[in-house]
Amino acid sequence: MKDRAFYLEKIFSPKNVVLLTLGLFYALFLVFPVGVALVGSFHNWNPLRGTFDFAGLDHYTRLFRSPLFWQSLFNTLYFSVVVIAARLVLGLGIAYMLFSKMTKARGFFRAAIYMPVVTPLVAVSFVWLWLYNPQFGLFNQILGTRHNWLFDRNTALPAVMAMTIWKDYGYAVVLFLAGLYNLPKECYEAAHIDGASAPRIFWHITLPLLKPMTLFIFVTSLISYLQAYLQILILTNGGPGTSTYLSSFLIFDEAFVKYKFGYASAISFVMFFLIALLTSVSFKITYFGGSRD
Amino acid sequence: MKKAALWMTLLVLVFTGCSGGSSSGKNLSEDTTAQKNLPVLGENVKFDPNILINDGKPIEVEFWIWDAEEIFQEIIDGFEEIYPNVSIKLVKQPWQDYWTKLPLALQNGSGPALFAIHNSQHENLINYLEPYDIDVEDLKADFTGVEGHVIDGKVHYIDYGMMTGSIFYNKDLWQDAGLTEADIPETWDEFTSVARKLTKTDGKGYITQAGFNYNQDVKSIIMGLNYQKGQMMFGEDQRTINMDNPITVENMQFLIDLYEKHEVGSKDFGINDSESFGQGQSAMVYKWGWFYNALVNDYPDINFGVFAMPAPSGQVPFAYDRYNGESTMGISATNSSADKELAQAFIRYFMSNDQAMKDLCLLYSVFPAKKSLVENDEVKNHPVMKTLAPCVDRLIWPGPFPGIIETQMQQTFEEIIYNGADINAAVRAGNESIMEDMKGSEFVSTERRYKYINEL
Repeated sequence: MKDRAFYLEKIFSPKNVVLLTLGLFYALFLVFPVGVALVGSFHNWNPLRGTFDFAGLDHYTRLFRSPLFWQSLFNTLYFSVVVIAARLVLGLGIAYMLFSKMTKARGFFRAAIYMPVVTPLVAVSFVWLWLYNPQFGLFNQILGTRHNWLFDRNTALPAVMAMTIWKDYGYAVVLFLAGLYNLPKECYEAAHIDGASAPRIFWHITLPLLKPMTLFIFVTSLISYLQAYLQILILTNGGPGTSTYLSSFLIFDEAFVKYKFGYASAISFVMFFLIALLTSVSFKITYFGGSRD
Repeated sequence: MKKAALWMTLLVLVFTGCSGGSSSGKNLSEDTTAQKNLPVLGENVKFDPNILINDGKPIEVEFWIWDAEEIFQEIIDGFEEIYPNVSIKLVKQPWQDYWTKLPLALQNGSGPALFAIHNSQHENLINYLEPYDIDVEDLKADFTGVEGHVIDGKVHYIDYGMMTGSIFYNKDLWQDAGLTEADIPETWDEFTSVARKLTKTDGKGYITQAGFNYNQDVKSIIMGLNYQKGQMMFGEDQRTINMDNPITVENMQFLIDLYEKHEVGSKDFGINDSESFGQGQSAMVYKWGWFYNALVNDYPDINFGVFAMPAPSGQVPFAYDRYNGESTMGISATNSSADKELAQAFIRYFMSNDQAMKDLCLLYSVFPAKKSLVENDEVKNHPVMKTLAPCVDRLIWPGPFPGIIETQMQQTFEEIIYNGADINAAVRAGNESIMEDMKGSEFVSTERRYKYINEL
């Protein structure tokens, strides 16, 4: 009896219980739904009507033929590239300014810059919806125009991007600032002794040393923006027409408006592989750049 | 082992959250008196309050709506007054969320016992609807239009009224432009002329007041315009969408001309027609009956009137417009039998309650389907119904077509109006998209049951 109790105690040790629970949790709420979605992507699947008919590769062939899929994919990449680039450049630039000893009231600026990040996206989107109004929106008042920013296909997506950049650049500022504070001082002392100018120090010391942080911000931003849809839902609802459809918005539209879960799952898997590919490529490029250590 | 159990409990709490269920907070007591000596309501569809619900034991259910909470709360209050053991918690969800959350909640069995229905969601909901426990013949005796809802001898919901569109105009702006009641247009040419008089621009040529604004709601007006010219929404088979036709193109061009040729409005002025009208920026908009109450509540300072859709010529058109049935509430088939019993009683209470029916009809400006309300003075004198009464005979109901058709139509018209797409190409592409989305749909249109279909 004593042996049995001993073994039970061993088997059900806190460590094993935690591991088992976590394993079960992820199996149930991550692996299982992803598996169902993968199988569902090969079926005409409408959970409301109870249909789950095998469709083979139909959804995949349909989506690769669909102009809307390609348009939304192009929009997603365009959106992601511009917003990530702006986030990195603005984030680093402002972090560098805040890092400078010349800047006063750093605490205030840090808080002010980070405030949009912690504000709910829905609230920010509604405020910007008003700012873009052609008749009484602030931007048109300042510019003296009556431009219909969100209903012009040339400006609708850039307008959503501008809002997203404003909302999110503070995240990069705080991370870059943390990175800057943690850079080794010896490198800078050596550079000063060698008489290096400020721009040279920035390009040849600061920027390379910040590479891991830059990669982290880039990858997390990439994953986040390739899945962006909430700002689209509120600001443009994909319009005018379908001109601001992003891939995630298309998935939402197919799944929760048309209830075509099979087709939506197929798009999701294409996006999954695209995100995985782009993330892997960005890691590869960075490592080839020699910053692994 | 104890440690392990503790860890397990902690993790379960972390992952499942520690929240409790929702409750209306009403103190429920057991109902021990079946015979309450209350009168039985209704003529044919009857509600007998002298029968216990859930054997008198406390019961609480949810009722989901997207609008009209005051009226529904009044109906619930009346019902709960009869039954001290019953609580119906009204839950309002925004329209957009409603159609995402409700079908999924019903599907996984966590949905409300009662819920408001829009017939554009018929195909998504029908599998989760419990048939009414009311004899169809009784329903037919009390309501019009029941036949269209009978499935295997039962109904899952019916129409409490029919809603259609009309032109809402700002009476103050109308007067400022020197217009009188005699200028209310009967044809689209007259309408265009009036709209021009109501339009104002500033020194830079920017519109400051639109004569007519259709931004964000082109789809509704186009369907009405097509019916006026005898163009049906669906083909001969009553299943295939028929948006790709010369009449749609012609009507789309007419709407574009209103903005670009006659300059009575702009796609860039008053981007939301409802709000623009409410703010006094637009003098006329085409809206459906719900807009009347929205104006009264949200823009009480607007002095507005209503007139019927103009016609292509001075003659009576093939039809004036489309109409749609406004549906009575649904009962969840996936809830418990006790919930269903309560819901069935509530439906009977609602259907046999003329006051509740009338209030709802007046709220949305819909013509009552209940026969006992047709001659009601309040209904007959309601501004919208009074205006539309002469046209009601010539309205077409295409049936409860899937909501995706309207969404796709709006996208198509946005491609034309905002993105400058060629009308013919955009309409063709839109038609193809709708056909793709309709694959697997069992919808069959009722538009060819229209009384004057032989005039085509």
